[in-house]
Amino acid sequence: MIDTVELSIMVVGCFLSMCMFSTLYGKSSPLYSLAEESYIGFATGLSIVMNLMYIYNTGFVGIMGGDWVLIFGFILGVMALFRVYTKYSYVSRLPIAISLGAQLGLALRTQIYSGFIDQIKATILPLLSGDAKAIVYNWTIFLCVILMLSFFFYTIEQKGSIGVSAKIGEYLMYASFGAIFAQTFMGRLSLLVGTIQNFTVPPWKKPILIACMAIVLAALIALDKLNLLEKLTPEE
Amino acid sequence: MSQILRSKELNLIAMFLAFLAVFVPYFVNVPALDVFSTKLITITAITTAFTLLLAIYSQFRRGFDFVRRKPRGWIFKVYMMTAILLMLLFALGGLETGPYHWVMYAIITPLSSVNYGILAFYLASTCARAFKARNTKSILLILTSLIMLFYQAPFTGVYVNLGPLGIYLADTFVMAAGRMFLISVTVGAIVFGVRVLLGQEPSVLGIGREE
Amino acid sequence: MMSVLKHFAEYDRRIVYLALFLVVTIMLMTPIGLPISVSPSTMQYYDVLEALGPDDRILAVLNTEFSGYMEIQSGIIASIRVMVEKEAKICIAVAHPEATGIPELVLSAIKSTMDEHQYTYGEDYVVLGYVFPNEASVASAAQDWHGAIHNDFYGNSIEGTFLDEINDWSDWTLISDYTTGIQTTALINHFGLRGAPMIVNGIGVEISILAPYLDTGIYKALLQSMRGGAELEYLTGHPGPGMTAMDAFTIGHYLMILLIVIGNIGYFGYTRNAGRNVE
Repeated sequence: MIDTVELSIMVVGCFLSMCMFSTLYGKSSPLYSLAEESYIGFATGLSIVMNLMYIYNTGFVGIMGGDWVLIFGFILGVMALFRVYTKYSYVSRLPIAISLGAQLGLALRTQIYSGFIDQIKATILPLLSGDAKAIVYNWTIFLCVILMLSFFFYTIEQKGSIGVSAKIGEYLMYASFGAIFAQTFMGRLSLLVGTIQNFTVPPWKKPILIACMAIVLAALIALDKLNLLEKLTPEE
Repeated sequence: MSQILRSKELNLIAMFLAFLAVFVPYFVNVPALDVFSTKLITITAITTAFTLLLAIYSQFRRGFDFVRRKPRGWIFKVYMMTAILLMLLFALGGLETGPYHWVMYAIITPLSSVNYGILAFYLASTCARAFKARNTKSILLILTSLIMLFYQAPFTGVYVNLGPLGIYLADTFVMAAGRMFLISVTVGAIVFGVRVLLGQEPSVLGIGREE
Repeated sequence: MMSVLKHFAEYDRRIVYLALFLVVTIMLMTPIGLPISVSPSTMQYYDVLEALGPDDRILAVLNTEFSGYMEIQSGIIASIRVMVEKEAKICIAVAHPEATGIPELVLSAIKSTMDEHQYTYGEDYVVLGYVFPNEASVASAAQDWHGAIHNDFYGNSIEGTFLDEINDWSDWTLISDYTTGIQTTALINHFGLRGAPMIVNGIGVEISILAPYLDTGIYKALLQSMRGGAELEYLTGHPGPGMTAMDAFTIGHYLMILLIVIGNIGYFGYTRNAGRNVE
């Protein structure tokens, strides 16, 4: 026996999803706008709720637990909200400056290792020792990283040996981009498959999916034939 | 007081001190500094969470501007703003059941999925049109993408062993390109960060725009 | 023949949309059950999970919007099921507001396994909710867990749960990141770089970004997208959404290959010969 709430969630979710897919028809439609504004409105509300909960759980509960110094988080946070008042927006500069400084400290103290030093170290590989597979892999990684990086040397003129390495690096990049495209397609296809799967499992959902697809497509074609698509679509 | 808060020098000094308070304790083991740094980081986390609340202001400002002009479809903007308020109201009734829970699973989660699922169509269509073997570079691009597409389809691996080639491409070329981008982005981020700390990028603090 | 080649070169893009939509929908509605092979990266991920033991403490971070969950749900469910089977203690934290709806779906999918191992909330698992909104919150939790996090998602204090044993990054046995890239760099920088063992289940787009970290040893293993999740389901012996989707996944890939081939046939057979530039 299907729960009424679960059924209503499925019907509304499926209908709005098909409305959002209607953008693939190639023309703007009020159905797409309905789905779009629904998502923007409710998702923004969700973000606000979750952030308020975070501020409460981390800040307010912490202060009530004796961590009085967290009051400064509230003071600076409220000051940051003055950004919206043109006359008093200068009040928001200090909290932004402090947040920015702290975030830069967080980023620079670690990123220099994980994103730069460790990556350079991992590129310096044994090129003459190990089995055949390891040697092939190591040479490929070493050459690819060095030659691809040389393509992005814009501060010196790319001629002579730098020009040759940049050219080879460019070809290696194209080879990499092909593989990266395939992985990107895998990701996007998985998103699509997962989305549609949400409407096909368990089996009682399938007729609802087909019905919603048919209704939305019929509505689109009807609106298009009656020249109502543009008239009912909100202006950008 | 307003002159103090407006002062570019004060803001830069505050930013630099906050930077030092977080950066230095990571390398120097002084317990008191460590505690101060941790508290400052938590305060920063709370402050940054506050700034996300500005989203409500920007959405309503755009919405009201649109509705005031009353162009075609203004009612959709009214619906959007009502949706934001409704979600805040529903949250008061609890997050695990009730209307908040219903909206979460009936509206937000399916539409979020479709939002990104649509990209598969655009990607497929664009690449089907753009991947033409016009020259050596595009031939390389197409070759490697075809090998990886075949390798990624699980059924292929049952009958044709593309594993060694696919893994080789992924573990060398893809990884090297990722590393190259990571190094470049990190260097750029470090340079930009140092420029901000030295006051070379005042627009980040919103100083240039207001003046 | 020429008209066929012309169609190959100049077709309406909506035909591609329709073909992809139909292929995916039909394959999901009527799965064939094509066999799948297991890749070495999934084996490596599985080995890390198999090495877990009772009372190991795992921080599972849902670093994804709900759209990303659609792609990696098979990996998330299969991973957490193995963690439960190993009787490890699991803390689920979330880095995006939309992901607050995910723990409920995951836990209901593995309910039978949790009941079998008599999992109790607070003692064996905790759901924290949206505690990582920004990098500073991740750094704060890594340095002083109880200074940064006080309540769980349901508003109850985390005192009295297994999280009493957690003070900072070093108290975690494993950090398991399920990511579309939101706070991944922050987790790497503030947990992984300090030495906390990490594994990651990333979406397809993120793989090239995550691979360098796997190579430097920050990540112990990388589970790739929906395919990796399906392979993990196969290895753990619990078929789920991943394996069900593999038919559509496979045929979708073959469709893309076909489209590229058709496009090139059209280009060489019509566009190039006619001296026209379709773009």
